[in-house]
Formats: sequence, C-alpha cells, structure tokens
Amino acid sequence: MKTPTRSRMPERMTGFRMPESMTRSRTLRRILLATTLATTALAVARPAPANAAQTLGPVTDEIGVIRIPKNAPIQIGGMWVLSGADTALGLDEKRGVELAFKTVGGKLLGHPLKLNAEDDQCNAEGGQTAATKLAANPQTVVVLGPACSSVATPGAPILWQAGIVDIGTACTAPALTAPNRGPQYAGFVRTVFSDSEQGKADATYAREGLKAATVVTVHDGSPYAQQLQQVMADNFTKLGGKVLSQEAVSPNDVDMHPLLTKIASEKPDLIYFPLFTAAAAQVLRQAKETPGLEKTVLLGGGSLASAAFIEAAGPSVVGFRIGYPDISADAMGKDYPNFVAEYKKTYNEGPISGYHANAYDGAMLAMKAIEKVAKTDSAGNLYIGKKALRDAIFDTKFEGISGPIACDANGQCAQFKPSVLEFTSADPKTYDLGKNPKKIWPK
Amino acid sequence: MSGAQLARSQPRISVGRVSPVDIVLWSLRILVLFVVFAGTIGAIVKDRYTAAQWFDFVMFGLTIGAIYAQIALGYTMVYGVLRLINFAHGDIVMCGAFAGYFVASPLDRSGFLTDHPVIGMAAILAVAVATSTGIALLTERIAYRPFRRVAGSGPLIAAIGVSFFLEQTFRGMFGSSVKSYPAPAWQRSTFEVWGFNVPRIDVLVIGLAIVFMAGLYLIVQRTKMGTAMRAVAEDAEAAALMGIDVNKVVVFTFVLGGAMAGIAGVFYAFVYKQVYFFMGFTPGIKAFGAAVLGGIGSIPGAMIGGVFLGLVESVGPSLFLDGLGIPAPYQLRDLIAFTLLIMVLIFRPNGIFGERMAKQRA
Repeated sequence: MKTPTRSRMPERMTGFRMPESMTRSRTLRRILLATTLATTALAVARPAPANAAQTLGPVTDEIGVIRIPKNAPIQIGGMWVLSGADTALGLDEKRGVELAFKTVGGKLLGHPLKLNAEDDQCNAEGGQTAATKLAANPQTVVVLGPACSSVATPGAPILWQAGIVDIGTACTAPALTAPNRGPQYAGFVRTVFSDSEQGKADATYAREGLKAATVVTVHDGSPYAQQLQQVMADNFTKLGGKVLSQEAVSPNDVDMHPLLTKIASEKPDLIYFPLFTAAAAQVLRQAKETPGLEKTVLLGGGSLASAAFIEAAGPSVVGFRIGYPDISADAMGKDYPNFVAEYKKTYNEGPISGYHANAYDGAMLAMKAIEKVAKTDSAGNLYIGKKALRDAIFDTKFEGISGPIACDANGQCAQFKPSVLEFTSADPKTYDLGKNPKKIWPK
Repeated sequence: MSGAQLARSQPRISVGRVSPVDIVLWSLRILVLFVVFAGTIGAIVKDRYTAAQWFDFVMFGLTIGAIYAQIALGYTMVYGVLRLINFAHGDIVMCGAFAGYFVASPLDRSGFLTDHPVIGMAAILAVAVATSTGIALLTERIAYRPFRRVAGSGPLIAAIGVSFFLEQTFRGMFGSSVKSYPAPAWQRSTFEVWGFNVPRIDVLVIGLAIVFMAGLYLIVQRTKMGTAMRAVAEDAEAAALMGIDVNKVVVFTFVLGGAMAGIAGVFYAFVYKQVYFFMGFTPGIKAFGAAVLGGIGSIPGAMIGGVFLGLVESVGPSLFLDGLGIPAPYQLRDLIAFTLLIMVLIFRPNGIFGERMAKQRA
C-alpha cells in the first residue's frame, strides 16, 4: 500500500486518509490486544480476592463486609447436581442442609436463613455457571456443596475471588485439599474425606480383604475418578499388587464390550472403576457378559450408593461392592440416628444417597462460624466480615453427625473411616444405606 | 540437457501451486495412515488378543454399526427429500426406546418375555415403531411443515428446538433417572460357530437390521411411493409438476424414518440396557456422521457408513492405538471414529456413495 511517492506527499493534499485511520485503528487494536491478554492472564492466574479492606457498621474486614439489613434473610448459596442421572447424590445433600437449617428453627441471630441452591449438573461448565451466579449475588455469605469434584475444581476459585468460602459436601478429589493446592483454593474447605484416604482404603481392601494380586482401573476423565483410581493404583502397587493397566471411558459411553474384552485379555483379579451412575452401570452389566471376566471381582466408588444406581444397573447389581466411608451407627456421630429419623419424617423416605450427613455438618460449620463473627448494630442490621468468616470456618471444631469436624490448614475438615459395602437386592425400593448395600468390611 | 532442465522445472511449478492447506491435509492423511498401519502391525506383533477376542470386537462393531445404519437412514432420507438435517432424529430413537421399555418391563416381570420371546419382541417392536412413527409424523406436521418454504436456517433451528422439546418432555414425564432395560436369559445366551462364541442378541440385532434395511431398500426402489420419493429427492418442483403429491411423499419419508428409528431404539436399548431422556443424542450424532460418511442423501451410503463407523469404533482402539502402546485407548474411541470420518471426507468430499448424486444435481 505504501509506495514511496505517496509517503512523500503530505496527506492532506492527496486527500488520502486511509493510512492515518489505519494507524489509529492499529494502535487501538494493539491496546485492545494488550488489554485482552492482561485480562486473560488475570483470569487464568485468578489471584486471591482483590477487594480492598472495607468498613461497614461495626466491622472492618480485609476483603469485604456483607451487610444484612434487619429482618432480611442470611443468604447461603448451594450448588449440587440436581438433574440428570446423579440427581440423588446432590438432592440428598441439599436435604441435609435443609435439615440443618431446620434444627436451628430456620433462623440465625434473628435473621431467617435462605438457601439459594443452584444445579451444577456435576460438570465443569455447570460448576462455572453456578459459582458465577452465586458469586454475583453480593449477599451470598457462604456456599455449601458441590457434590462433584469436577464442579469444585473450577467453582471454588470463582467464589473465593469474590471472597466467598465454599464448603464442599461430597467432592473428594485429593487435589482440592492438597498442600500444594494454590492460593485460589484458599477459600475451599470440605466436610467430607479426601480420596487420598478412600483410594488407600480401597487398595488395602483389595490386597487384604480380596487377596487380589492384579487390578485394572477404569476412570472417566473426571477429577474424582481420575485421581481416586490413581491413588488406589499407587497404593495397590505399594502393597505388593500389580496394576495391569489404567483404562478410561467417556461418561456417556454405552458400549463397554470392546473395553471389557481388552481387560479380559489381561486377566485381572479385580476391576476398580469409581465412575458415575450411567457409565458404571454399563460396565457392571456388560462385564457379566464378557467371556474371561466371570471370576473377576468388580469394585466401584462412593458415587454409586443410590437407588438410582440400582435402577440403572438392574439385576447385575446384586453382589456388587463399593468402597465407602463407614456410616454404620457406631462409626458415625451420636446424633446420626436422630437425623435419619428426622429425614424420614420430613421427606417420607430414607436418605436417598450417602453424603447427607456431610452436608448437614457443612451447614452446621457455616452457621457456627457465622455466629462467631457476625456483629449486629443498634438498628438490628447484621455485619459479616468475609476474611473473618473464612478464618472462623477454619478454626471451628465440633462433634458432627458424620464424625468430628476440624479443618486443617488445607481445608480438610473431616476424618475418614473406611468400609466396603455390598448390594443385596436389585429392587431400587429396598435401597437403604447399611442394609442394601450392607457393610461387609471391615468385619 | 533440455530434458533434464524440463524435469527440474517441473516440480518447481507444482511446488508453487501447493498451498499451506494442502500441506496440512497431506500431512494429516500421512499421519492417519501411519497410525493405522503402524498400529495394526504393532497389534499383530504384540499378539495380545486371541482370535475369539478379535471376533468379539468385530461382532460388537457390527451390532452397533447396524443400529447406527438404521438411524442414519432416517437422516439421509429426510435430507434427500427436504434438504433438512433433522436433528431431532436421535430423540425419535429415544422415544422408540422408551415406548419399548414400557412394554418390555412388565412383560419381563410377568415372565412372558422369557416364555414367548418371539411374540414379546414383536409386541415391543410394534409399540416402539408406532410411537416413534407417530412422534415423527407430529414433528413433521407441527414443526417442519410451516417452515417448508422458508429459506435459511429456520428449519434447522426448528429441528434443534424439537430435539430439546422431546428430551425435556420425556424427562418431565418419566424423570431424569437411568432406567434399566430388562435382559431375559435367552438374550444373554450364546451359541458356537466355528469355535467362536456368538451372543444371540447380536445376531438378532444384525439379522433383523439387515431384513428391515433390505425391506426399506425394496420399498424405495420398487414401489410407486418409493419412486415418487426418489423423484422428489431429485427435483421437488419438477416432481410436483408431474403430479406427485409432495406432502404425501414427505409424510411417507417420515413414516419410514420413524419406523427405522423405533426399531433402532429398541435394539439399542436391548444391547446397552439403559434408557434415559438424553440417550438419543450420542447415537444421533454418530448416525448423522455415518450418513455423511456414506454420502448424505444416499440410502446404501447410510447403511455402509453406519456399519463402517461401528466397526471402526469397536476395533479401532484395540487395533490402531493399543498397537502403538497408547494407554487407555477406549477414551479416544470417538476421536478415532470422527478422525476417520474426516479422512473419508478429505479423500471423498461427497462421502462414499455421494458422488453420483452430487453430479446429477450439479
């Protein structure tokens, strides 16, 4: 475009304005590009909350203060899987939280409690949406849930950037509370065990309970399954077993025959597949039809303790085992039986999945911490400092219905007692944690 | 001397014509061919699977392939007649599977399905076919016909809307849980051919699929209605001028497509034993891929495309990726299937059977 003749001529004389506007737009584009890059970099790095110190009423806080006007509700966010095949998993936890609110009469410090529950669909995209929505509400004090690690992994940093603590109620991926978890997870705690414990327990059961010498693991690419099978495989090797291969499927796969034929060619003693409902039911049903796997033991994970899984798996569920935290009465907190009675009374059915007690304790932890740090002014308005609340959650210790709750520096607040459960009937109506599936290990 | 000069100048000219896109495409072709050959050789050298296991892989592939083929027929026929990609077709399959489930489940509980497998299967298929055909017709009448004369992407968006509508309606009516399809004992049994164990259900699915597809082919090729269908597919306006009732032909097309979808839905559920509201999506996409692979608009193309895709999905991971020593190959099953789809389209842009039709329409 730029010929020597043109550039030597004054622009105004030629009336040729193109180069000028082009330079301007180029500069503009460069600025835009720089801004975009900077924003992207910021978004990727996602530092700890950027809010400056704030003083509202009687409270000053490093990262912000929430003011709740007199008689207005204390808004607590929730995100669980509330649709799709794993609905029971999330709904059960939501009910745990509702029952926790009920035990305090639905009121805290004179303010009604309000639960804003979002459906996170148990995937990263859903988690991002749910967390963003909850973080956008300036009245969100704390968030309970999620059930799935694939939600917590992107969700917790989004919430913590807004200065909101996320209390995970069933997301068990080890990375979430690992010592190297990074500052963006500083606002994440969980009232459920870590799969670094679950994987170890499953490996121990496989070696000592089943006397298995070889294992094949299957995951579905989710943080939960991937990390859990890795921990299990590592511990299995450590205990003297041999991991023949670590396979993977997609969560929506239906045809497991080729995979299982491949696994059969390796002749493992055990297949370990901590998948979610749909894929796990397919593996289970099709494994029984695969030649060469007749004697292979199948072991699944904690996301399968639900009536929905029995329904999906059909008759092949009988005799199927899952690694699970010990929830028999003597392993749980002393108030657990009362909780179950209340659950049955409120919802006209027994607990529909396995993590209601963890969710209940998560809600209790949140309420106890709010009680500790919230201050009321003379007009009856309530003020909660965000940093203070985070510290209070990390400091609060109590005897929960799922066991003692006390957070360590990385946000791990629950202890773990291992067990293995076995399904006894293929009728979804008989689902009753402790009876179907019933505890078979440790004896 | 001049001959040598000419030879030297020859490649220079062709180099000048090679665009970066060509280079990328050629390297992609070479890469895929390398993976296919190196993987196959690797798998043969490793000798990990017995002949019986290879036979199983092929059987699984043919089974799912037969189902894909039947679904693909619905896509390809509707596309041929209306130039519409019926995105709701996968969900019509789901409707058929659900209808079959509500017959199969009580029949299985009462023991009827075990005692009278033939009558039981016929009843399940009949109800499924009636349901999915009915729903296909309703979709055509309510959602597609008003858009018949609309140019642009309106009809396509309507099809996507119908897909969502069907999924969410079934979810609302029957819940979002995964339901387990009954599996009577005779289905799980196997019999022996030349030392290979063949599951009865696979043979039933493949056999019936061949019968139904042959029937469909005869209808399209030999009957008056089928001839009218082909005429409309060739040129709808000319066909109308010749006195063909286009509406009737379209309805007939949806009847055929819906019936095949109903059968495919029952088979799919019998082999994979689960029904839920979103189950139509994945096979729908795969079958659409199969239809494109075979040459969209071509009926034999859809059949061959479906079987080819099924085989590649089933055998591919073990043959190509396992041989190269790639861990967890089954995660990459869809990648293999769709890479091969892209490959076929690079070599034959109109699909395997697409060329003849494309030429005629051009």
